[in-house]
Amino acid sequence: MTPDLHEKMRLELIIESPALRRAEDILLDANVKGWTVVPAVSGYNGMRRWSRGTDISASTDMVVLICVGDAELLLPCLSKLHSLLKRHIGVLDLTTVQVLRNAEF
Amino acid sequence: MLTTLLSPVVLFFALGVFAALLRSPMSVPQSFAKGLAIYLMMAIGLKGGVEMSQTALSGQVFAVFGAATILSFALPLLAYFALRRTSGLSRIDAAATAGHYGSISIVTFVAAIEALRFAGLPTSGYLVAVAAVMETPAIITALWLALRGRKNDEASDTQIDRGELGREILLNASVVVLIGGLIIGAIAGKDGFEKLAPFFSTPFQGVLCLFMLDMGLNAGRGLRRGWKSLGISPILFGIYMPLLSAAIAAALGTALSLPPGDMALLMVLSASASYIAVPAAMRLALPESNPSVYLTLSLGITFPFNIAIGIPLYIAAANWLVGAV
Repeated sequence: MTPDLHEKMRLELIIESPALRRAEDILLDANVKGWTVVPAVSGYNGMRRWSRGTDISASTDMVVLICVGDAELLLPCLSKLHSLLKRHIGVLDLTTVQVLRNAEF
Repeated sequence: MLTTLLSPVVLFFALGVFAALLRSPMSVPQSFAKGLAIYLMMAIGLKGGVEMSQTALSGQVFAVFGAATILSFALPLLAYFALRRTSGLSRIDAAATAGHYGSISIVTFVAAIEALRFAGLPTSGYLVAVAAVMETPAIITALWLALRGRKNDEASDTQIDRGELGREILLNASVVVLIGGLIIGAIAGKDGFEKLAPFFSTPFQGVLCLFMLDMGLNAGRGLRRGWKSLGISPILFGIYMPLLSAAIAAALGTALSLPPGDMALLMVLSASASYIAVPAAMRLALPESNPSVYLTLSLGITFPFNIAIGIPLYIAAANWLVGAV
């Protein structure tokens, strides 16, 4: 028997690590219930390759913030996240996803 | 000068640079390198504190603190002026880069202490605290240079969280570990440090070699990636700016009648460029600035220049100046 699935929105933000706390504050202010941050290992930005751990200050490291929640909570964050990304290095995408345990989100 | 160039510390650094330039996949894990940096700062702070516990604070010491603070505030002004006149960098990039050149590189400082020990020149412990003091004022000058004249609509879009930035520049690892180590060393004194000597004294040179290998890899990779986008003028700045800064520090050191070891260290502190505290602060306060400009210059150009040529040159100059006065 297939369990019931529930539609949610998934926000994925790849951002330079010094700006992470600012992004998290935006989500906190919007009462978003939870998210996960994972390190980004390496990538290519259209001009050059970058990789984690090549700068001792770690100021050029990138992280990925993944947040799954109700659209009513996540969509109001977009304008502030957009302002943040005007200044900081990063990209943002939103997708619709299905989750198993609705109460967890 | 040749003796310093052929010391294992410099040779391991050169090995790292060459390995990176030859695209070796070798790397030192980031968290391990951070641990090494904390170990080195803790060791140098403790040793400085022990030395401070054995000497009385004089008027000259306070004068050196004052001179160092002024240098850290003022050197970014000179760097900004030079960059704007010669390099074509934007106001923001020039200001962010200038901030790096008023602040200090603690690894260059550690390498200079070892070079001075090698040369048999004593240094004063309080200069560790001077190094910590010089970390921050340059950041304030850089922010002032970048933000002055900013239009109101830009200002509202680019507000700085002062609390977040304050924590970053006043409570970063270098400042906490250096000042903390210095205070603990001063409290523990010589007897207390003797118990720690097997950990902090004997392996120090070996750990420094390992760390310099990692710094060489960082510098080489930064240079390989960034030099094409920089142009000749900023690269030349990365070489002449430390010489200018060292010359100004030498003039102040002569006026303060510093002994040669202390004068050489003040020159090294002024000539070095930050690549730990300031880049992190600039990403927070001036994210529009281009990190590949200031990281390539401070880590890829000025740091190797100071390690290979600058330190022996500053030591020779300090010796000559003190002998000539």
